[in-house]
Amino acid sequence: MSAILAVFKREFTLYFRSPIAYAVAFAMLLFLGILFNGNLSQSVAYNVSVAQQGGAGVTASDLNLAPALITFLMFLIGPLLTMRLLAEESREGTIEVLMTLPMNEAQFIIGKFLAVWSYYTVLLLLTVTYHLVLTLVGVPDAGVAFGAYLGAWLYGGAVLAVCMVWSAVTEDQIVAAFLSAATVLVLYLAEVAAVSLTSSPTLASAANFVRELGLQAHFGATLANGIIRAEDIAYFVLMMIGALFITTRIVETRRWRA
Amino acid sequence: MIEVQNLTKRYGAVSAVDNVSFTARPGQVTGFLGPNGAGKTTTMRMLTGYMPPTSGKALVAGYDVFEQSMEVRRRVGYLPENVPLYRDMTALGYLMYIGEIRGIPNRRDKAREVLEQVKLADRAGSRIRTLSKGMRQRVGLAQALMHDPEVLILDEPTIGLDPLQVLELRDLVRELGKNHTVLFSTHILSEAEQVCDSVVIINRGMVVAQGSPSELRSTLERGGRVFVRVSAPAEAALAHLQSLPAVAQAEAGLDGVIVAPADPNADPRPAIARAIIENGWDLIELRPLAVNLEEIFLELTRAPEAAAEAEPMPESEVVA
Repeated sequence: MSAILAVFKREFTLYFRSPIAYAVAFAMLLFLGILFNGNLSQSVAYNVSVAQQGGAGVTASDLNLAPALITFLMFLIGPLLTMRLLAEESREGTIEVLMTLPMNEAQFIIGKFLAVWSYYTVLLLLTVTYHLVLTLVGVPDAGVAFGAYLGAWLYGGAVLAVCMVWSAVTEDQIVAAFLSAATVLVLYLAEVAAVSLTSSPTLASAANFVRELGLQAHFGATLANGIIRAEDIAYFVLMMIGALFITTRIVETRRWRA
Repeated sequence: MIEVQNLTKRYGAVSAVDNVSFTARPGQVTGFLGPNGAGKTTTMRMLTGYMPPTSGKALVAGYDVFEQSMEVRRRVGYLPENVPLYRDMTALGYLMYIGEIRGIPNRRDKAREVLEQVKLADRAGSRIRTLSKGMRQRVGLAQALMHDPEVLILDEPTIGLDPLQVLELRDLVRELGKNHTVLFSTHILSEAEQVCDSVVIINRGMVVAQGSPSELRSTLERGGRVFVRVSAPAEAALAHLQSLPAVAQAEAGLDGVIVAPADPNADPRPAIARAIIENGWDLIELRPLAVNLEEIFLELTRAPEAAAEAEPMPESEVVA
């Protein structure tokens, strides 16, 4: 336990000294900020015009805008935050010392994962400011926002865990980043692939399987709209556990073959 | 205490370490000597639990390295060959990180203590990337000492250091050897001779000799060869010495004559001295042919083909 905590503390504080982590935060907030402002001013203008015409209907701004955009951006955020995590330890050889300390691979990898997930959580919490802005101009639905943020948090955890697998596979950070981005994009686009499969009736069940395998099937239609389903939470949690298990095994076998 | 029994590491058909057995005793520095690629690092990685052996057994501090890896790791300090460190951390920060993973209480005090021990206390707050190679080596050593290990495994700790740093590090290792079991690998022979109480020579994954440096020397001296220098024409002296009954073979070498006795257990020197004086020559030098570790090492680590070719040579020389 103390080993997990030690690894976690080092890695987590490292994010606040790493230029890449700041660059990711900056780019993400800039991107989200521009889109959020556009979206907000549009809906305000619309509501004003409706009110002027004596209408009572009020459209809300997209409550899940920030979390939904973050899940889209995960194919960049995930690789950038995780590529260093294990690849650098192998390349620099620092893993050799760590793996002769009384600590097993699982502790080491859980500590690393919790660090990157926590940093991601900080990023996510920064975007809560958008929701606070919404509360200044109206009464946003807190349930939808909560569901969307919970979803984005779990979604992020699953993506980060999947990206860690590639960081364990290769010593090259760039290769790890590329393979991670590709994997996350495939998981993101599984829904699109499923749609093309449904055109053939014989492949309907296969289409459904592919759809359920993808990330968005468990976020876009449900959590993003405040619908919290156990199966979606189970999907993200299982993705995390599975990916971390595979990562642990890879680190183990790499060492054994080294 | 390190006890290694028939330790083997195979990669496919290639044996990196082949049936290695040796013992490193507490309170001693055991040298692990061999040319590059002999299997030193692989053996050390198996002893530290970094890598499992293909077969065989090793006990470190009384625990099996494979079955009780965590117990071994708690009792071993390991300095890997290239001294991997986190360059963005300070020396103190790095030691505290290692201490935290190891669950050491008062790790700040302990880290300062070991930095003092490796004479790096004044650079405790420096980032590791700003330290010189020798200082990094000492940070690595400090890391290995954080938990007062029973056993220290140091993989070529003097490589890449300047001569002064090498001397300092050797002193430190010798000092540590007094109350630890130290296994110290090197490919520099003079270093093993100076630092180690006992030496294991490994080549192509196999142990080719072991014992104290002086024991190894006397094994090779047992042939009883002596070195003779005489104030006489070299050829005449050689021919005369060759004709003595106590001499099996005489050959020119080292600016004199090297004589192999007919009976390896009898000292041929009195007979040689008498013969030379009787011949009216002056005896300038007559001593057992000292063999240093360097010669032993070259002898033992020569490629087997070359050694096989070298074997029959003396026979033909006897005839000449």
